[in-house]
Amino acid sequence: MTIRALIAEDEPILAATLAATLTKLWPELEIVASSPNGIDAVAQALALRPDLLFLDIKMPGQSGLEAAEELAEKWDPALPFPEVVFVTAYDEYALAAFEQAAADYVLKPVNEARLGKTIERLRQRLANRSGDNGLAQLVAQMHALLPPAQPQERLTMIRALVGNQVRMIPVSDVVYFEALDKYVNVVTQEGEALIRVSLKELRPQLDDSVFWQVHRSTIVHIGSVASAARDDAGRLSLALRTRPEKLRVSPLYAHLFRQM
Amino acid sequence: MQMTQLPPAPGFPFRQFARDAGYAAVLNVLCAILIMSVTGRPEDFFHNVVYSMCIGMIVLVIVNGTRLAIWGAHQRPRWPVFFTILVVAVPIAQFSGIALGGLLLGRTVTSATKSASQSMNSMLVFTLLAAGGALLFIVSRDRIVRAEAELALEKARAETINRQALQTQLRLLQAQVEPHMLFNTLANLQGLIVIDPARAQSMLDQLIVYLRATLTSSRLEDTTLAHEFALLDAYLGLMSVRMGQRIGHTLDLPPALADVKLPPMLLQPLVENAIVHGIEPNIDGGHVTISATQTGGTLELSVADTGRGLQAAPGRPGTGLGVSNTRERLRAVYGDRATLSLTPNTPHGALARLTLPLQTP
Repeated sequence: MTIRALIAEDEPILAATLAATLTKLWPELEIVASSPNGIDAVAQALALRPDLLFLDIKMPGQSGLEAAEELAEKWDPALPFPEVVFVTAYDEYALAAFEQAAADYVLKPVNEARLGKTIERLRQRLANRSGDNGLAQLVAQMHALLPPAQPQERLTMIRALVGNQVRMIPVSDVVYFEALDKYVNVVTQEGEALIRVSLKELRPQLDDSVFWQVHRSTIVHIGSVASAARDDAGRLSLALRTRPEKLRVSPLYAHLFRQM
Repeated sequence: MQMTQLPPAPGFPFRQFARDAGYAAVLNVLCAILIMSVTGRPEDFFHNVVYSMCIGMIVLVIVNGTRLAIWGAHQRPRWPVFFTILVVAVPIAQFSGIALGGLLLGRTVTSATKSASQSMNSMLVFTLLAAGGALLFIVSRDRIVRAEAELALEKARAETINRQALQTQLRLLQAQVEPHMLFNTLANLQGLIVIDPARAQSMLDQLIVYLRATLTSSRLEDTTLAHEFALLDAYLGLMSVRMGQRIGHTLDLPPALADVKLPPMLLQPLVENAIVHGIEPNIDGGHVTISATQTGGTLELSVADTGRGLQAAPGRPGTGLGVSNTRERLRAVYGDRATLSLTPNTPHGALARLTLPLQTP
């Protein structure tokens, strides 16, 4: 059985070297694509649906971890999720985190004996896989790998530019925050306003017992959530008390909405 | 042991005083032996010891006690005051010592004084000399102990400073040859050896130039612009192999400025910043231009990149020390005569500009 793999690596020689070493040690492996950045990696993976992903941690566009998170959110739940192997150069902190998360990783420069062991583990897992095994495993790993937000001074009032005036929005009025490229859309019962900040920068300034991150691009005021339900495809969404739209929940945060 | 005596404990140094009393006791016995050998009357030896002990101990209590109380064990006494105390104390000790000795030996004060009165003057001189000598010994011994302790402390201080200097140098080295960069370069070499041995050879040559330059220049006081640019060329060469088409670079050093002197590794952190924060995280990469120009007595160096620019988040969590370290080094070497500015480059990217006094050989 042919195993189809995607390599995401920004340094061309390293991508070629990893591909050559992998195919030498694992003849059934076919490299279906090689992505030079984290954005392209997600697009290629969604289009080609490989069995196996090698994601470099440090890439332009977005990191390997961010790419894995985005893929988990965009992957069709009806299809088996690929096995993910992270690729990293010397970095003491990251290695400790990978060990702790029991995540597969390849160290650069590549050691063939060590890569051989990783291949053996991947072979076994690919042979025994069922349902969304790969996704559940990745979700568990991502919880350990993603750095927690360092609490900062709490924000109480949002100053948003609307037209030519600065509108003052109390944080307690916000129903949800939604990331839009380099901006965040602040949604209240009455309307919306853009602020020039990233969701990543905003998150540590919010009370995480009231404002829950439910998606890479959404932080919701949990008191505004009426219910959580899965659609036909098995995707989890939130219905809001004061707004008609539904908010998608990432598989990474689905555990927050299990029944008691 | 000597180290623990510093700094001196507050209050009266009783331990010191007890040790000095030990020296005094030995000296008192020696005095008794001396007197016995002069008088030639061994039968008086016991009496001599008792009288010597009494006189000697009273001198010690008065003079050394006063010295320790006033100046402590670690401070040099003021000699005129000290000798005045000594000269006043000796006759007091002489009379009261003889009285005390007589009391202990069961003689009446008067008979004891009488028996001693013939040679009182010579005995006074003898006591003065013995007590003076003994106290000089005690005081100078304290001073030697103190000097030794100070020497040991000085040595420890010098060792600490040496160690700190070494650690600083090591940190500087680590900052220069960053492990992430080194391992990524080695990973590229590992691949190139198989794919393209000729390019692997040339990459290895550049790595050697880079390592040699960074490892030796950190120990040099000054380098030349030519040397610094050669190092940057090797560094950018390595980055070009790694990043391929995504990075380009231009080095512009006018031949007239080749021998201009500057502190080593001044530009490297700025170039590394341009790559790590500007070009590497940018999907389309970018170009770095490094140039040197002279205006009058001022040397201007600039590192311009066409990367993501200054408002972008850091390319990776670094120490954030590149610019602030460079500023500190400039201030240490040139004071107010050097500047470093970091501004947006047009149309995008960042521009670091350094001005420093021109130092020709």
